[in-house]
Amino acid sequence: MGLALSALAVVLAGVAGWALTLGQADISTAQVWTSAWHHLCAGVSTPAGGWCPANPLSEIQDAIVWSGRAPRVVAAAAVGAGLALCGGVMQALTRNPLADPYLLGVSSGASVGAVLVLVLGLAAALPVAAFVGAVAALVLTLALATGRGGGLSPVRTVLAGVAVAQAGSAVVSFVIFWSSTGDSYREILTWLMGSLGGATWPEALTALGATAVVGTYLAGQARTLDAFTFGDVSAASLGVAVTRTRWVLLGATALLTGLLVSVAGAIGFVGLVVPHAVRLLVGERHHRLLPVAALAGATFLLLTDTASRSLFEPRELPVGILTAVVGAPVFAVLLRRRAAS
Amino acid sequence: MTATSCGVETTLEAPPERIVTIKSSATEMVLALGAGNRLVGTAFADGPVPADLAAAATDVPVLAEKNPSTEAVLELEPDLIYAGWESNLSADGAGERAMFQGLGVATYVSPSACKGPAYRPEKLTFDLVFDEIAEAGRLLGADEAAADLVAEQRAELDSVVRSDAGLTALWYSSGEDVPYVGAGIGAPQMIMDAVGLENVAGEVKDTWTSLGWEAVAEANPDVIVLVDATWNTAEHKRATLERNPVTATLPAVQEERYLVVPFPATEAGVRNVPAVTDLAEQLAELGVTP
Repeated sequence: MGLALSALAVVLAGVAGWALTLGQADISTAQVWTSAWHHLCAGVSTPAGGWCPANPLSEIQDAIVWSGRAPRVVAAAAVGAGLALCGGVMQALTRNPLADPYLLGVSSGASVGAVLVLVLGLAAALPVAAFVGAVAALVLTLALATGRGGGLSPVRTVLAGVAVAQAGSAVVSFVIFWSSTGDSYREILTWLMGSLGGATWPEALTALGATAVVGTYLAGQARTLDAFTFGDVSAASLGVAVTRTRWVLLGATALLTGLLVSVAGAIGFVGLVVPHAVRLLVGERHHRLLPVAALAGATFLLLTDTASRSLFEPRELPVGILTAVVGAPVFAVLLRRRAAS
Repeated sequence: MTATSCGVETTLEAPPERIVTIKSSATEMVLALGAGNRLVGTAFADGPVPADLAAAATDVPVLAEKNPSTEAVLELEPDLIYAGWESNLSADGAGERAMFQGLGVATYVSPSACKGPAYRPEKLTFDLVFDEIAEAGRLLGADEAAADLVAEQRAELDSVVRSDAGLTALWYSSGEDVPYVGAGIGAPQMIMDAVGLENVAGEVKDTWTSLGWEAVAEANPDVIVLVDATWNTAEHKRATLERNPVTATLPAVQEERYLVVPFPATEAGVRNVPAVTDLAEQLAELGVTP
């Protein structure tokens, strides 16, 4: 297990390093690495021996690699890992294989907040609005789904999520239909399909920090999550305070999703597909599933984002298009397997 | 009088007396041809009309801020609907052209806005813009006004001092995560050609295109054309360029080498030539040398 995780981490690091050297700008791999060595070295010390190479990159090239690609690579990995974690946890908590941040209305709530802001032209407040929208949608979903006794049934949760998601997307459509002028709808479209094109260091580090903190917490709850997969009654008999624990864990995933959506827009399919794919490889147990899903999600989004900015250069695709194009067939295969078994 | 636009033929027995326009480019065309008194409704204004048409536009009724509904248009009993975008005359817009034509209402779409591969212009040129002015003049029974306008605009275009400094430019229309910019075959390219600017996205065979920030930085344009729209101002785009750490390093951003163009002038129509004059003057004032 440890070996597999290390191997995955090495693959992720390799893909990240490779992504850093890929791009529209004509900068060679050697230049990128020399420049990385220069920065690391200059950051640590000012050596007398002169073993620090000069930065081979011009000021603009340096900004392209270290202010453009590098935070984007970090953000893609962090968002991918976080979304996969959220999906895996939500699937366990609702005992619904379709659960992901989309299904519970969280992404759609974030979209409502963001679209309102984009149309009103208050770009600075976008992350906050997306985050508030995400949390509001989850609270609404959970409130709708809560039974009289305070219980949260999986089926009701999913139905409530669908209702909130539908209402959210209706609001988004209305705002776009009613008030988008000229080419402003394009910006909304880019956001709705997800994009890491504008990722900055503060955003990348926010995503990374949030995923690390919430991810560590969730990974620590692996036994509890295992208990949930056998059903509420079994979980209760194993000593889990079912209702309260579910609220806390769902709240944590909403918090993380809201932050990730505020950084990257609404990227679909990562949270849905990656945990399923990983389950096929390592089984249902969460102490294995969650770390592997996080690393796999990071690698998956990093690869799709790199493709989205390289495939049609100098054009750029919203990465959500590619995650869906790759994710939908994978999901279809999973569904067929499930039907066959 | 018969005209074909985007593959749809339309016939008017007599010059239209009741005209509805959708989009600024169509409204301004009708105003510039001196037919403003026959406008019974305008819709989908992208911004205020330019100063020289403002007097003609004062009494023109505004039908809708966006696409009007079919009923609202029909209620005005127009004999011609003139649209700036093909989508204005679709089921999602004011209604389909075949439906209007069946009711005896002629429809016309700016030919440069046609999307079908057979009708879309290979590359927008001022000759095509002038052709549209002439055709609109024939449709409106204002041939003379159209001929005068074309002659006037040709002369103005010829008098523009085209920069020969070999400067490159980015036409920044919208977008923050991924900028949306003027590409190789639309009005932005035509205007930049006339001003003497080399479009950094000119290789892309499209009217407008999304372009990664890295591609923008790599191209390192000498000047940046900011599209000024009420919903996304030039000032806002300037702030975006300064905030983005990649574009903040560009000399054009650091030295504020910006040109500003109003959004309604960026679609094919009577405002393209004035936009060329305006941008050429702004460029001269910047005094940039590559």
